[in-house]
Amino acid sequence: MRVKQILILAPTLVSLFLLQSYFWVPTFEEQVKGDPGRLTRYIQTSIGDASILNPTLAADSASSDINSLVFEGLIDRNRDLAFRGRLAESWEIFEEAYMVVDDTQRLPDGNPVTADRLLRHLEKARAAGDPALRLVQKIELLPGQSKIEQIEVAIPRQESGKPKKRMVEVTVHLPPRLKFTLSEVDQDFFVKLNSLLRGYGNRIDPSRFIEGAEPVITRERAAALVPPTEHNPIVLFRLRKGVLFQDGHEFDSGDVKFTYQAIMAPENLSPRVPDFEPVKAVEPLGRYTVKIIYKRLFEPGFGSWGMGILPEHLLNRERLKAEAIRLGRDPKTYSIRDSAFNRAPIGTGPFRFAEWKTDQFIRLRRFRDYWEGSPNLREYLYRVIPDLLTAELTFYAGTSDAYGAQPHQVERLKHDPRFQNFSRLGLGYTYIGYNMRRPIFQDVRVRKALGMAINVQEIIDYVLYRQAERTTGPYPKQTEFYNPTVRPLPYDPEGALRLLAEAGWTRNAEGWLEKDGKPLAFTLLTNLGNEVRKAVMVVAQNAWRRLGIKVETLIMEWAVFINERVDKGDFDALILGWSMGLDADLYQIFHSSQMGHFQLNFVGYSNPEADALMIRIRQEYNRARQVEMARRLHQIVAQDQPYTFLFVGKGLTLLDRKLVRMIRDPDGTPQYLPIVADKLGRINFHFNQWVKTSEPVLAAY
Amino acid sequence: MLSALLRIGWKKLWTLFFVSVISFAVIHLAPGQPSQIDPLNPRFTPEQLERYRKAFDLDLPYHVQYVRFYRKLFTGELRAFKDSQPVLPKIVERFWNSFPLFLVGTVLIWCYAFPLGIASAIRRNSLFDKVTTVIVFALISVPGFYLAYLLIIFVVQTFHVDVIGLRTFGREGVAAPLRLMDRTWHLVLPSVLGATAGIAVLSRYVRSQMLEVINSDYVRTARAKGLGEDTVLYKHALRNALLPFVTMLGLLVPALIGGSVIIETIFAWPGIGRLGYEAVLSRDYPIVISLNFIAAVLTLLGTLLSDVLYMVADPRIRLEAE
Repeated sequence: MRVKQILILAPTLVSLFLLQSYFWVPTFEEQVKGDPGRLTRYIQTSIGDASILNPTLAADSASSDINSLVFEGLIDRNRDLAFRGRLAESWEIFEEAYMVVDDTQRLPDGNPVTADRLLRHLEKARAAGDPALRLVQKIELLPGQSKIEQIEVAIPRQESGKPKKRMVEVTVHLPPRLKFTLSEVDQDFFVKLNSLLRGYGNRIDPSRFIEGAEPVITRERAAALVPPTEHNPIVLFRLRKGVLFQDGHEFDSGDVKFTYQAIMAPENLSPRVPDFEPVKAVEPLGRYTVKIIYKRLFEPGFGSWGMGILPEHLLNRERLKAEAIRLGRDPKTYSIRDSAFNRAPIGTGPFRFAEWKTDQFIRLRRFRDYWEGSPNLREYLYRVIPDLLTAELTFYAGTSDAYGAQPHQVERLKHDPRFQNFSRLGLGYTYIGYNMRRPIFQDVRVRKALGMAINVQEIIDYVLYRQAERTTGPYPKQTEFYNPTVRPLPYDPEGALRLLAEAGWTRNAEGWLEKDGKPLAFTLLTNLGNEVRKAVMVVAQNAWRRLGIKVETLIMEWAVFINERVDKGDFDALILGWSMGLDADLYQIFHSSQMGHFQLNFVGYSNPEADALMIRIRQEYNRARQVEMARRLHQIVAQDQPYTFLFVGKGLTLLDRKLVRMIRDPDGTPQYLPIVADKLGRINFHFNQWVKTSEPVLAAY
Repeated sequence: MLSALLRIGWKKLWTLFFVSVISFAVIHLAPGQPSQIDPLNPRFTPEQLERYRKAFDLDLPYHVQYVRFYRKLFTGELRAFKDSQPVLPKIVERFWNSFPLFLVGTVLIWCYAFPLGIASAIRRNSLFDKVTTVIVFALISVPGFYLAYLLIIFVVQTFHVDVIGLRTFGREGVAAPLRLMDRTWHLVLPSVLGATAGIAVLSRYVRSQMLEVINSDYVRTARAKGLGEDTVLYKHALRNALLPFVTMLGLLVPALIGGSVIIETIFAWPGIGRLGYEAVLSRDYPIVISLNFIAAVLTLLGTLLSDVLYMVADPRIRLEAE
């Protein structure tokens, strides 16, 4: 019967055909041993693919991984996290400051102010060694000028609350100004100058220089148009000579300026705009010097020059226009974001782009003319494996050299002699935040008691398999800003009860804490999908219930959680984490001006001393003073406990033991050195020296 | 017949219109924002967020957005939020990656489900039937990802060969037949896993359908005529039992664009399921809505196809027009 035969034959044949393919596939051993190229090829697996290979446009970690190899910035950080020159050989930071000449005022000697008199007065004081002018190297007089500007003003309307916006034309009479060149940035320069001039600067009324729509211009708007005094910090980068892009074109100051313009151009939608917004201008001074002028004091802005530099000659207007015409697109709307460059980039970094198969792999090859010398590894492959277990399998089988291992996976492979591991401490911390707009959380004793009730060490030991460390404040522990003298809150439920009693919360007949007949009750929120936060939630709820607090818990989908609860300030307490940068700026997270909707001080923390410190810290260019203030700020925040600071995650990176660093002696004999991690646990600091040997060459270390 | 088809086509167009509205509305009404507009990036100012919204057309009223969106989709100008790449070529590329998986998976399902189902039906309540029933229900209940891990670990540890991805990674410059076999091998595990649940479910259908037919009068008549058992079963019974499955062919069409998120994730398969899943997570509206829309078109085409097939296979069924 034919039907019967088909029914039996068909599955048999299909199965046989599929299974026989096994005999054509190389085993792992054949792949690793039989392929000499494998030793010069480094394979990194990642759970996600890159999205856009352009450092000014990318925001995801996979794209950054690739961009950091293909592109290079002016600076980066060395192993101790201090800044180090890359495309810039060296740099200077100083200041240019401006002050308006206000001829309605009088000088301390009684004479009315004129530009010349003011200048002479200050020159005399400088010659006399007045401390206010100690850093001043040069004072110049700039003439005034007038210009017409269109500005947008909001006109309040009586009936409906929404103000109407319209454009008005104003004439700005910019008065003569004095320009001071200071040898270093001094945020108190005008404070000192004001005391020398008996409050001159504070009395300048900028609205006097604006002519036109007088009634609708506030004093702040006028001050924005004609600032009475202005700090312009300057960074002068001296660029490395003879650095080549991977297409052979030489890098120069024009590329730096171009990169800045590419970021700021609105049509490119660069996510890096906030980092470069404080920059006023980028001025090339010749081919190998570039002057960066800042609008205002903003110290964290310096680190942004680690941004990879784009090649101007490949992305300028003409090139984009030609590309748009070739593709039949409108040249007017065609931006860098649309360019094919983002899928085949060219930079000055140690590896050059070769191939990208979306969601499969990205292939880079070493750049032989890299200014610091060619990398040892010939090829870098970035393989996308979205599943962590299969990523581990490929690592174990030797077909990948590194992957983002999870703590439990590290536990499995840590003791395997084939692998080396590196410990790293994260930059992010997990916390419980209290909404201080809610009456119960306004009392610091309550916040402190809640923190003391939780056994953080237990969380670290049992929830995180000891892959975490306690933290006491808002700074990463690897930075100098972290204050090591601040002690963590003790685990002390009894003490917590005493603190709550002081705050007026006492146990009622049923054992619940209450004050004025109202129970101490609130809801603790966190987001869905984070198992650690969920576990912390259970521990906290349990600890607080034992004190007699009625705690409800709620886990919400991320988008709803953020949009409906966090951004609107509609929560009691929540568990979240911050991933910190390496700078000392905490303004957005803790300053009292940042409490509005969609701002980051959603817990509503407010402390005048902390506010003042946060502003001074971001304006301070002297490292030692900045560190001192940051440590004080850490202390204040720890005292106020707007958050219960819980822990910082730790991790281990696994690598094949056959990977080592190799440098050559002057006579050419190779010397092998171990791979070492920096303060952040990053291992790729010496990546260009890495080689893979066929057998381990270094003893276990 | 033609007029009936036209009328059906017209109805389906209307359905398509409503589907397009709904798929547009669903993603826009879902909470959350495209990940490019990340409200928790500490240095973003409201003006910058506004600029993104404007570039993505999100500042416009919904009906204007709707019109602009579908105009861009049909003119091929639509670009993903993630990387500004055109959406349609992206979907086409992923489609061809997923297609072999779909093809081999479907072939496996149909090749195995019928013999299994028929054999269980013929030997009802025998040991074979009971064993297959248990296995089949086990396969339906065991989560796919768990089975996948077990299989991968077993194959990798026993045979020491690569099973992840489209082909053996890092193996370059080999001859075409070797490449073909390499790709075939990499299809085996994911398509077998993708097919297990399908085989299990479909073989149950086949079994019950077959049982029903075997117990019907005309089969008894055929037996009474003195026909051989094979002729009775495979000629008279099977043909009639197969009838409902003809319609299933049409329903396969929309599955073309479905892909399997779990299998594709575990096997690092750059397929269409992963594309859609990642787009949903990052609220990449152009990709999500386009995929939805294409799936709707294919579903409608599939139902149309199954109507026609059924008509051809079973002369008793006629379109209402006639």
